[in-house]
Amino acid sequence: MKALKRFTKAREAGSIIFLVLLVLLVGALNPAFLAPASLLSCLNDSVVFTLLAVGIAFVILTGEIDVSIGATMGMSAAVAATILRDGGSWMTAFVMAIIVGAVVGLINGWGVSIMRIPSLIFTLGVNGLTRGMIYVYTTGAWVENLPGSFTKLANVKLIGHLTVFYAVTFTGVLAANYVTNHTKHGRYFTAVGDNISGAALVGIPTTGTKITAYVLCGIFAALAGMAYTSRIGFVTPTAGNGYEMKAIAACVLGGVALTGGQGTLLGAAIGAIIMSSISRILVFMGFSSDYDNTLTGIMLIVIVVVTTVMQNREIIRNHHEILLARTSEELKTVQEGA
Amino acid sequence: MNRSLAEKSKAFFKSWEFVLLVILCLEIVVFATKNPKFLKPAVLLGSLNDIISICIISLFVTFCMITGGIDIQAGSIVGLTSIIIGVSWQDFGFNIWTAVILSVLIAAVCGALSGYFVAYCDVQPMVVTLGGSFLYAGIALLISNLSATASYKGISGFPDSFKFISKYRFGDVLPLQVVIFLVLTVIAHILLKKTKYGRMIFLVGINKNAAEYSGINSKLVMMSAYILSAISASIAGIILTSYLGTAKSDLGATFTLQIITACVLGGTLSTGGKGSAIGTGLAAVVIGVLKFGLPLSFGVNQQYMDIPVGALLLIVVICRSLATNPKVVALTHKTQKAAIKKGSVKESLKAL
Repeated sequence: MKALKRFTKAREAGSIIFLVLLVLLVGALNPAFLAPASLLSCLNDSVVFTLLAVGIAFVILTGEIDVSIGATMGMSAAVAATILRDGGSWMTAFVMAIIVGAVVGLINGWGVSIMRIPSLIFTLGVNGLTRGMIYVYTTGAWVENLPGSFTKLANVKLIGHLTVFYAVTFTGVLAANYVTNHTKHGRYFTAVGDNISGAALVGIPTTGTKITAYVLCGIFAALAGMAYTSRIGFVTPTAGNGYEMKAIAACVLGGVALTGGQGTLLGAAIGAIIMSSISRILVFMGFSSDYDNTLTGIMLIVIVVVTTVMQNREIIRNHHEILLARTSEELKTVQEGA
Repeated sequence: MNRSLAEKSKAFFKSWEFVLLVILCLEIVVFATKNPKFLKPAVLLGSLNDIISICIISLFVTFCMITGGIDIQAGSIVGLTSIIIGVSWQDFGFNIWTAVILSVLIAAVCGALSGYFVAYCDVQPMVVTLGGSFLYAGIALLISNLSATASYKGISGFPDSFKFISKYRFGDVLPLQVVIFLVLTVIAHILLKKTKYGRMIFLVGINKNAAEYSGINSKLVMMSAYILSAISASIAGIILTSYLGTAKSDLGATFTLQIITACVLGGTLSTGGKGSAIGTGLAAVVIGVLKFGLPLSFGVNQQYMDIPVGALLLIVVICRSLATNPKVVALTHKTQKAAIKKGSVKESLKAL
């Protein structure tokens, strides 16, 4: 019972319930959707978005934002794909991609937390630079002819229809979720996002936490780039263009507040599943996938407006209760005095 | 209150707009020395043609940013406007100007919807307009499916009277769309700096509660900023459709980041309360000339244009951050104090 109560209070509860209802609704309209293969391919398709959303969730939890992850992902993907195409080992490609992600993250972290530049603006500039660097690096050409052993990796199944990629990603997300929710250092992210001055007063290294968040975000974007390369099989200079907005939307759908300090990585991962299964859901409902963006937009606005309005009401109610309690206490003292 | 001309000009030389003007002149001088063709009036004024939509939209997105918000849906409203004009003209048989007015009205409604959520429901502007950017881009795609023409081809063959907006040049030199941009800049500047409405926008951005207590309907003011930016996006959409000669649903999809770059480069504070239409307009022109001049004069590949724009933005924000850094400020104060001391010594010597 206690666990249930805690679950309903958690921010990601709304998203999980929403996801379950959505699946049941679509399943009721078209039972074929409920087949394990279909449900699992929803999960398998969400690998790239899950990695991006969880990565950006670190940054959003600290109250900042990163709009450069799309370009970071594209850059890592291009670097890794070029190494693989030229016969380099997987390990080199993997390490180089991670290094690219971490360096972009470090630059973002430096600009935002040390130079104190508004994060939207700084990461916007970094986004432009990184996107341009992709064109310089690839000379505007597609990176193709990747070794088959690498592109087949995305389809390796663990059990039944569940791919190894998703299994690894999800385990990683669960582990990261545990760390950010239940360990001292993991809670720093939320603490900084919730109240940065308060966090600084109790001795949390706010600057370091923000830089860490950005570096982690960059590394997750690099992982997403690797997953993307393996799934798609080639890398275009525009790879990952616009993914930053979808990753932010996934976070919002998963109950991560853009004001910082609220939400969990697990929520972000669930938001990413919702986000990436929309087009599949549309197909099963008999709509064209052209409704994709419209539905995403409506869902995003409805969820955000409803949660905000409910939160504001609660704040007002709490405020009233506090006032009431205070006045009744004052009345008591007055009466006692009389 | 009446400041003398000298004071005014002194203030101007210290202002951010002046810095932008210097950057713009530098750009023109550098590009012109490398390629003298750049100085031809037709080329110079035409350099803005490709970026005119971004110039126009960023002027009014500045309003949103001054109120403390942000508008990232403007790009998708450009596509929505374009496709509404195309479909209602070609497939529904509307007069082209009726179609144009219809598209502006719909854009205003879109802006009002997002503005309502931001102002009256207290939802974060970034999230609402992010949702709006998906929603309106999606609606634009759905509308394009109503047309008999395949959406990727785009609807073309507009009447000459419509193409006139982008093709006409005053004295064969000054394009009409640049004039529209200049007129809108002046309008935006007057709105912001010379009217009561402008003062309200600033006050809402500086302190919403104070604005509310002083009798300003701050929610309505905030909502109006989003309506204005949506209308400006639809004007940009009309001009872009006329300029390209085709109506497509995905026009303007890549504008968002450039619009915000122009606003920030123009000196608008993303936290609200500060900004100017002239600054934003100048910044947009700086970006436009940069994107036009680098390929023309230095043969830089058009694909690499993200780098100079991104670098410009980063350099500006880093410099500005350094300038407000307490350590740097303290340093300049010391030198100023030292200068004053020197001056006073000299003056006292003179007095003797």
